[in-house]
Amino acid sequence: MALTRRRFVRAAGIGAAGALTSSWIGARGREHSAWSAFEPTLQAVEPGPIVLASNENPLGPGRTVMSAVQAAFGEGGRRPGRYSGSSRELIEAIAAKQKVKPENIVLGCGSTQILRSATHLFTAKDKPLVGTIPTYEECAGYAEMMGHLVRPVALDSEFKLDLNRLADAANGAGLVFYCNPNNPTATYVGARATREFLAKVTRESPETTILVDEAYYDYVTDPDHDTHIPIAVDNPRVIVARTFSKAYGMAGLRMGYAVGHPDTIKKMAEWDGGSGTGSLNVLALHAGIAAIQQDGSFTASERARNKEVRDFTMKWFADRGMKPTDAQANFMFVNIGRPAKAFRDACRAKGVLVARDFPPFEKTHCRLSFGTMDEMKRAVAVFEQVLARKSTAAA
Amino acid sequence: MPVSRRGFLHLASSPPASARFLAARGLEAHLAETQRSGGARALVPPGIDEIRISSNENPLGPGQAVLDAIVTKFPEAGRYPFNSTPSETALAAAIAAKYKVKPENIVLGAGSQELLKNAVRAFTSPQHGLVTAAPSFENCPGIARKLGHPVTEVPVDAVLRLDLEAMIAASKGSGLIFLNNPNNPTATVHGAKAVADFVSRVRKLSPDTMILIDEAYHDYVTDAAYQTAIPLALDTPNVFVTRTFSKAYGMAGMRVGYAIGRSETMKPLGTLKMPYNVSVLGIAAAMAAMGDTKHIEAERARNTDVRAFTVKALNDLGCKSSESQSNFLFTDVRRPAKEFREACAKQGVMVGRDFPPLEKTHVRISIGTLDEMRKAAAVFRSVLKTEMSPPLDETPKKPGRQQEEAAWR
Repeated sequence: MALTRRRFVRAAGIGAAGALTSSWIGARGREHSAWSAFEPTLQAVEPGPIVLASNENPLGPGRTVMSAVQAAFGEGGRRPGRYSGSSRELIEAIAAKQKVKPENIVLGCGSTQILRSATHLFTAKDKPLVGTIPTYEECAGYAEMMGHLVRPVALDSEFKLDLNRLADAANGAGLVFYCNPNNPTATYVGARATREFLAKVTRESPETTILVDEAYYDYVTDPDHDTHIPIAVDNPRVIVARTFSKAYGMAGLRMGYAVGHPDTIKKMAEWDGGSGTGSLNVLALHAGIAAIQQDGSFTASERARNKEVRDFTMKWFADRGMKPTDAQANFMFVNIGRPAKAFRDACRAKGVLVARDFPPFEKTHCRLSFGTMDEMKRAVAVFEQVLARKSTAAA
Repeated sequence: MPVSRRGFLHLASSPPASARFLAARGLEAHLAETQRSGGARALVPPGIDEIRISSNENPLGPGQAVLDAIVTKFPEAGRYPFNSTPSETALAAAIAAKYKVKPENIVLGAGSQELLKNAVRAFTSPQHGLVTAAPSFENCPGIARKLGHPVTEVPVDAVLRLDLEAMIAASKGSGLIFLNNPNNPTATVHGAKAVADFVSRVRKLSPDTMILIDEAYHDYVTDAAYQTAIPLALDTPNVFVTRTFSKAYGMAGMRVGYAIGRSETMKPLGTLKMPYNVSVLGIAAAMAAMGDTKHIEAERARNTDVRAFTVKALNDLGCKSSESQSNFLFTDVRRPAKEFREACAKQGVMVGRDFPPLEKTHVRISIGTLDEMRKAAAVFRSVLKTEMSPPLDETPKKPGRQQEEAAWR
C-alpha cells in the first residue's frame, strides 16, 4: 500500500476532473483541499468528549479500508451516485473468509437489520422470543413492537448466559437470542458449552431458531473460543450474526451479515435482504470488502490493543474494590455501587460519556466501552473524581 | 482536463485493493443488472465501454460539497450515527428546518425504499390493501404481496399518466395509495391542482386510506403546473410525501431518503424505522447536499437539455416517448423491451428492465450525460434498424409477479 499521500491526492483530483463537467474542474482547488485535509484529520485529536458509551473501535476502520474507500470513491467521484452491485462482491469476500458459500450469507444495514429480520421471521404471537435480562435490546424491542411475546431469562450469578434456564425457556419458543459475548455484561460462554446448548435446543425444541450474535467475536481472549458458523451452515435452526461495527471499526458505515443454512438465509434475504439498491450504502460495501480481505493481523492487533486497555481499566476498578465481570469484549460491566445515571451524568459533565441504563442492574452497574489507552487514562482520572466525590458525600 | 479514464485507472491502481475494485466495475454492473432485471441476461461484452442508463441515477454523482463532506467525515466511520457530528438527529432537524416543520414531521430512511416498505407494512392489511398504478415503481406492491395483502393495480391512461379518476374509484376501503409523481417508469407528472383534487376526493370517498405521494424525481420536473405536495401533506391527515437523495442529488449509493407529513401520520413509520439506518457518511453528505441548491439547479438544467436531445433523437427514429418530467424516458420502441435491452447491451448500452404490462412495446431509458446519450442514440439507431421480431400477441398482459424483485429505480 505504498501510495503516497501526494500521489493519492493527485489521483483523486484527476479522477474527479476527468469524468466530470467543466464546472467541476473549476472546483478542483476545493477538492484538493478536502483530500489534503484527510490525513491530518485522521491524526487530529478528536474534539469533544471521550465516547465510552457505544462499544465502538476508537481507532476506526484502519488504513487499508480507508484506502479502498478512497479508491472506490475516487473513480470519477461517481461512486456514491450509483446504486451498487457490490453486495454480491462483499458476500463472496465474506464467504471466502468464513469458508462458506455465498448462499450461506445475507447482508444487513448493520447487524441491526439481521436481528430484526430474524425476529420478524421466527417469532410470532404464539412463538415467543427468548432473551436474557439484560442483553442487547434490538430483538426484544422489535418483538414487542410486533406484539410478539418476549420470554425473559435471568443471567447466572457471574452475569453469564444461564444455559439451563435458557434451554428450558427455549422450549416452544420461536427464537432464542444468544448474544455471546453478552452485551452489556461482557461475559462469554465457551465454545464447547455453546455447541452443547445449540444441540440440546435443536433436539428438545426442533422448531426453535437460535440466533447466535457474535458481534464481539474478535475481542474474545478466552482459550475455549470458536465461531459457531460451521453449525449454522448445517443447522437450519441456527443463525450467526456478525457485524463490521465492532473490531472492524465501521459502526458509522452500517454493515453486518448473517451466516446460516441456505434455506434460512433465503428466507431472510427474501423478507428483508440488504442490497446495494436497498439499505446498504456503496461506501460501506467497499469498506466491507477491504476489511474482510485483510489478513488476520488486523483483528489480532485490535484484540491485543483492546486487551491491554481492558486489563488496565479492569485492574483500576478492582484495585478500588469495584468488581467488573469477566470482560471478553471491548467493554466492561462493573459494579460501581451507585446508580448508573448519577455516575453517567457526573462523568458527562467532565467530558466522558458512558453507557445507558441496563435494568435490572441500573442501580449498581455501569457499562464502559474501552477507548484508546490514552482515553482510558484520562477517563479513569475523571472516574476517580466522580466516584470519590460521591462516596465522600455519602459518608 | 485531458486525462483519460484509463490514465486515472493507471494512477489509482497502485494499491492492490483499489485496483481490484476498479477492475471489478464491469462485473459489478453486470451482476447488478442481471440480478435485478427479471432474468434478462443483459451483458456488455468485455472491452466495450458501458453506458449505464438503466437506473435513473444522476450520471454526474453528487456535488462537490457532498464529496468534500464525505471525505472530511470519513475519520468518523468508526462512530455510530448517533455519536457522529453531525448526528442523525441533526439531519432530521435540518430537513425539518428546510420545510419549517418539527423533527417529528420527518422520518429518515435508508433511501426512500425503506420508507415505502414500512408504509406498506404500517398501512395495509389483509382487509385493506394497496392501490397503485401499472406500471409504477414496483417496491410497494412487491412488499404487499410478500405480506399477502391485496394489491390493486390501476393501468395508466392513454398518454401514460397515472389515471387519477380510476385510482380514486379503486381507493375505497384500501389501506394505502401509492402515487408516484412523476411516475416511474412512465416519466409523466400531474400538476398541483390535480394532486390536491385527488387527495380531497380520496379523503371523501375513503377517509381512512393513507395517501403516499412519492416525489423521488421532484427536482427534475419542469412543468410549471407541478408543485410539491409537501405543504398539502403537512395540512392534511393521512397524506405524506417521500423524497430521496438518490436522484437529482446524485447520492443513490449513499442510501438516504425521508418521509414528511403530519406527526400523527409519521408515527407508525418512525416506529418501524430501522435504528441507525443512515450511515455517518450519508448524514454528512445529505446535510451538505441540502446546502448546495445550485448543484440541483444545474443538474435540472443539464437534464432538461439532455432529455430534449434524447426525446428528439428517438423521435427521429420513429419512437415516441411519453411527456417526460423526469431524468428518464418511457419510449415506444415497437418491440419487446427485453429484445431491445439485450441488443443495446451488446453495444455497451444498459437500458431499463421490463415494466409490465407495457414490456412488449416500451422501454425505460435513463438520461445520462449528453456525451453518453449521443453514443446511446447511435446504438439505438443501429438496434432499431434491425428487423423486428414477429408480431406480438396484442392482448394486454396482467402485471407480472416477476417484477417483485426489481428494485432499481
